[in-house]
Amino acid sequence: VIRRHPALLALALAAVAAAASAAAFASRPATAAPRAHATPAAATIQRGGTLVAAISGEPQGFDPQKTTAYASFQVLENVYDTLVEPGANLQMQPALATSWTQSKNHLTWTFQLRKGVKFQNGRAFTSADVVYSANRWRAKASQVAYRLAAVKSVTAKGRYAVVFHLKAPAPNLLSAIGGFKGLAVVPKEIVADNTIGRHPVGTGPFEFVKYAPGDEIVLKRNPYYWRTSQPYLDQVVYKIVPDASVKTTNLTGGQVDWIDSVPSQSLKSLRKTSGVKVASIPGNDYWYFALNEKRKQWQDVRVRQAISYGIDRAQITEAARAGEATPNQAAIPRTSTWYAPISPFHYNPAKAKALLKAAGASDLTLDLLVTSQYPESVAAGQVIAAELGQIGVKVKVDSVDFGTWLDREGKGDDDAFLLSWLGNIDPQDFYYAQHHCGGADNFQGFCSKQVDKYLDAGQKTTNQAQRKRDYAKAAQLIVKQASYIYLYNPDVVQAWRTKVHGYAPRPDSAIRFRTVWVGK
Amino acid sequence: VLLYVLRRIVQAAFVTVGVSIASFALIHLVPGDPVRVSLGTRYDPQTAQVLRHAAGLDRPLVEQYLRWAGHALRGDLGVSFATQQPVGSAIVHRLPATLTLAGAALLVAVLIALPLGTIAAVRARTPVDYAATAISQVGVSIPDFWIGIMLIFLVAGRWGWLPPSGYVSIGQSFTGWLDHLVLPALSVGLVSAAILSRFVRAAMIEALAQDYTRTARARGLSQRAVVVRHALKNALPPVVTVTGLQLAYLLGGVIVVETIFAWPGLGRLALDAAQTRDYPVLQGAILLFALTFVVVNLLVDVLYALLDPRIQVR
Repeated sequence: VIRRHPALLALALAAVAAAASAAAFASRPATAAPRAHATPAAATIQRGGTLVAAISGEPQGFDPQKTTAYASFQVLENVYDTLVEPGANLQMQPALATSWTQSKNHLTWTFQLRKGVKFQNGRAFTSADVVYSANRWRAKASQVAYRLAAVKSVTAKGRYAVVFHLKAPAPNLLSAIGGFKGLAVVPKEIVADNTIGRHPVGTGPFEFVKYAPGDEIVLKRNPYYWRTSQPYLDQVVYKIVPDASVKTTNLTGGQVDWIDSVPSQSLKSLRKTSGVKVASIPGNDYWYFALNEKRKQWQDVRVRQAISYGIDRAQITEAARAGEATPNQAAIPRTSTWYAPISPFHYNPAKAKALLKAAGASDLTLDLLVTSQYPESVAAGQVIAAELGQIGVKVKVDSVDFGTWLDREGKGDDDAFLLSWLGNIDPQDFYYAQHHCGGADNFQGFCSKQVDKYLDAGQKTTNQAQRKRDYAKAAQLIVKQASYIYLYNPDVVQAWRTKVHGYAPRPDSAIRFRTVWVGK
Repeated sequence: VLLYVLRRIVQAAFVTVGVSIASFALIHLVPGDPVRVSLGTRYDPQTAQVLRHAAGLDRPLVEQYLRWAGHALRGDLGVSFATQQPVGSAIVHRLPATLTLAGAALLVAVLIALPLGTIAAVRARTPVDYAATAISQVGVSIPDFWIGIMLIFLVAGRWGWLPPSGYVSIGQSFTGWLDHLVLPALSVGLVSAAILSRFVRAAMIEALAQDYTRTARARGLSQRAVVVRHALKNALPPVVTVTGLQLAYLLGGVIVVETIFAWPGLGRLALDAAQTRDYPVLQGAILLFALTFVVVNLLVDVLYALLDPRIQVR
């Protein structure tokens, strides 16, 4: 990654440095930070035109508080706004909120709202919409309620301010409300007439026009958009192309202008294709597998450590991603401000065997749950199986459809499950629910009082440097005790026709088209 | 004939109900449910409980089925879990694409199979027949999606003659519709043609060996007249049956080909519904597939009776 994109990396580093001094977390009002990624010079921008973007998945409804499908959010990202939003460096920037303050005891946050914003149906946006939406975020049937567990209530303060009242300090409140478009501000009229799932209406740069299932989604320019010079495009058409190599053929043939991912087998040839640009940046997702500690044979920490010593992350990365990823023994990538170097394990089959022997474990078989929905998981699983075979652990790679994967993971019907976590920004996203004793996503059944101590401290302390130390300590223990066996952080790899300008892949895989323009 | 048709309709209704019960049970037996899938990897049991209750998924299975069947009888197939779209309109939405592809593929199949099968039969056990047989053997053995991938790779990718994927409705643009239709129709149609040509050949060989054919020849009719007017006409009934079944199969959606060509047909709707455990959509799609098979079979039988007067009510 570093080898191929020195410019991008430098940009990312500069952004991180800028963010470190930014006021995003301070208790004084945050200032509107400039956009971190380079926008093209105004003179060169050509307005109008259509971007045809190919995406792989079928959206599963468009209600941001109900769906969790990535394909839905590829669209919703451009239709809705949140109060704050991650910039290119993933630090929170003003969006519908222009500034914010915290009380001294950190239990009330006041957000000033942007004036003159309109929904795409022409109605003015006010604090009442935020209060309404916040109640919807926190409702029982909401998919995003877990992000606001610390919130007691949200109230309006005049027409252009809202107050978040907290049960306990929430140092990650900004990334909780801005890190994911699931916390979009929605107008209540589309909930009242029950069209929110089929025809979203937001304050974002593009207005929803239509969805032809199995075929395409069409958006058009929002004339009321509050960043008055944007968007540049008149229209965005998302073409749903499930087959990855056919998607690539559409790009090389010029039928589409942009594709949301590049299959690793097409990377080489696509990089050589004239008229096509391939971009790859380090992403914030991570891949891992976890040994099911509800089963006795995986309860001994030495056995789990043996498995971690017994895999060669570099080889797994090469097989699963054709090298478009960075091996990592922990969850948080090197490019994050929250990164802490943790690497107690190196590939060492002899040590792995010794640990197994010390633990008295022999003739181990391992039923490894992967899913055909993400072929990457199958490829990674196969390499792991071959490598663990070398240390005498017989691995059965169990490839099932995603619904079955989720069901069996939930029931603990496996020896280990392998997958990834997406869309993480704050360290709490990376570690809390997965590793806290009884955590909501702790399907492997890991429990350590010491880890909990650091996770709980990190959740509450408002001193960001202290938080970083707390999570680093928690992560060290999580890695060392092999609660998860981390594999790598995948790169975000996207490609477009060279006539497309102003697009940059983002580490959180969010797709924003508001700064995109198409040359003639 | 009327009584015969009536009896077949009653049988068909029983088959349909049977299929709906069996599929309902099977769908619910598969691990996972729509709430589990829609919540994704972040699973909160309380949220799941609320959603399951709201969707009636916590009710006994029999009650769920009876409720579904009651609504279905009144033409209401329910609402999609994922999109909140009525299932009926979700299916209707996919019909034009599915009908287009099935029709075009069948046309390709018949246009190839009739001449190929007939020639093979007339020239039975000659190099021409062996060549035709070899071609159709290859066609039967190659999966349709492989043909599709090759067509995309060569015709769309290498030569750039046609778009690689997608669907354009005939109302939008006739040429666009045709351009996007050719490759998927060929992928599916070639395989059907291979299957169909074997039946045509067999039926023709049988017909050519019949007494009436010999009589026709003896009367001094030309070879062409004998083959087309006498043999082919009598060889048609079994061919119609197979063609009808092929059509039913095509209408059921050719899932993999639809996926490769990003074709918005019923097969992909059903596949997506199966993957997301969208019970109402999946159940509706299966019901439609079952109905299609039943109705096509019914029509074939009736047509058969008309083509061959010897088939009588018994």
